[in-house]
Amino acid sequence: MSADDFALRSAVHDLYSSHSGWLRGWLRKRLDNHSDAADLVQDTFVRVIKARQATDIRQPRQYLSTVAKGLVIDLFRRRALEHSYLEALAAMPEDNWPSQETQAIVLETLMEIDRMLDSLGDKVRQTFILSQFEGLSYPKIAERQGISLRTVNNHMAKAMEHCVLIRMGLL
Amino acid sequence: MSAARPALAPAEREALRSAAQWYARLSSGIDTESERRDWERWHNADPLHRQAWQQVESVRLMVEGVPGNVAASALHHSRESRRRVLRQLLVLAGVGTLGWSGWNSQWRSALMASHHTAVGEQRRVTLADGSQLLLDSQSALDVRFDAEQRLLRLLSGRVLVETAVDGLARPFLVEVPQGQVRALGTRFTVQTEAQFCEVAVLEKAVEVRPAASAQVLRLEAGQQLRFDRTRLGEPWTSDPSVASWRSGSLIAIQRPLGDLLDELARYRHGWLRCDPSIAGLKISGAFPLDNTDRALAALESGFGLRIVRRTDYWVSVLPAQA
Repeated sequence: MSADDFALRSAVHDLYSSHSGWLRGWLRKRLDNHSDAADLVQDTFVRVIKARQATDIRQPRQYLSTVAKGLVIDLFRRRALEHSYLEALAAMPEDNWPSQETQAIVLETLMEIDRMLDSLGDKVRQTFILSQFEGLSYPKIAERQGISLRTVNNHMAKAMEHCVLIRMGLL
Repeated sequence: MSAARPALAPAEREALRSAAQWYARLSSGIDTESERRDWERWHNADPLHRQAWQQVESVRLMVEGVPGNVAASALHHSRESRRRVLRQLLVLAGVGTLGWSGWNSQWRSALMASHHTAVGEQRRVTLADGSQLLLDSQSALDVRFDAEQRLLRLLSGRVLVETAVDGLARPFLVEVPQGQVRALGTRFTVQTEAQFCEVAVLEKAVEVRPAASAQVLRLEAGQQLRFDRTRLGEPWTSDPSVASWRSGSLIAIQRPLGDLLDELARYRHGWLRCDPSIAGLKISGAFPLDNTDRALAALESGFGLRIVRRTDYWVSVLPAQA
């Protein structure tokens, strides 16, 4: 173990023993579920360890709560998407529902797509969804959105470029 | 937080941009044979183009991996419902500074709500003037008292208000996204949903004003009403059990099953689905709200319904006979 690693470990250890109880309380106030709070405490520390910055944190509670907030938002996104997915499934006859495994994979993929499209503007995002998921032609989309064909084309290129950059970790 | 990412060379960046443009052209639904040949020429002209196209393909494969109609509707709703979920939990003070674009609602102040309840929780609150509130499951409310008025902002969920006489004679107002309810010395409930607000008066009266309309209506004890931002609905006579939730049970008298399950769903996590063929079934009974599993069991044994649990978070209510 290098000296750096040692310093990092003891810093994380100190951080955990002094603040994990506080962080659990902080999360519990924001989530209505104790086991979610406990999970997110662990996830927060995993992030802290990966970031390898534990040795120079000046305001530990502020730092931990900032990391935890990001995780809470992710959790809410997942719940919201899961809910809409189940709602969409519920509208279909039960015989047509995919297996549990397929559902899990679809949901994971949807999460990723949702995350990719999230920072796009409403119109661009909508255009992409109408074309790629609803299979509408550009003239139909132009009509529906009240925009020109050229704009539809530009929105599509923009959305795709954005998705690619996010997937490559460049955005 | 993470190490610096490898930057993209300008030529690579340019190749990605043109790959995205090609993708847009080929997705138009009106592409021609000659366009495809042009694409091939572009694709084969440069290894960077081929690499960039592979990236585009990987996104396309993801898109193809999900059933279009389901994905479209889930993605359409995800923004809106995410806002709703956040509104309900309302607790991420500072979320705006994290740069989550999408989050831009008038309810930013919700993040600082003074009171909120978890799923299945009810909470009693005594205000500075002695007024009493009972906040129902999954609700959030902000208290803004000043020299001029006693203002509550109900951000989500439902509240029972019992106003006290104010020494300063300040008006007592409950604001919801749909408008405003003004207490006229009284006991009443206000419930706000995505599309409408419902008010029921138990004692005395209230005045209801939609946010985007000049209409005002005085609602008397025993009356109930729905309104949205622009319109007041017709008042109707409340069911005597309209506020039975405050004693921890749901009392139903000839209530449609679908409606009853919507009500129970407020008190539990996950998705409670009612088979459409039985949604209209009339149900009477008293159901515990602090243990909705028991309420479901009572429906199962008392009304011959079938409760199917895919997971704890996904429960379907079906007719008895498959």
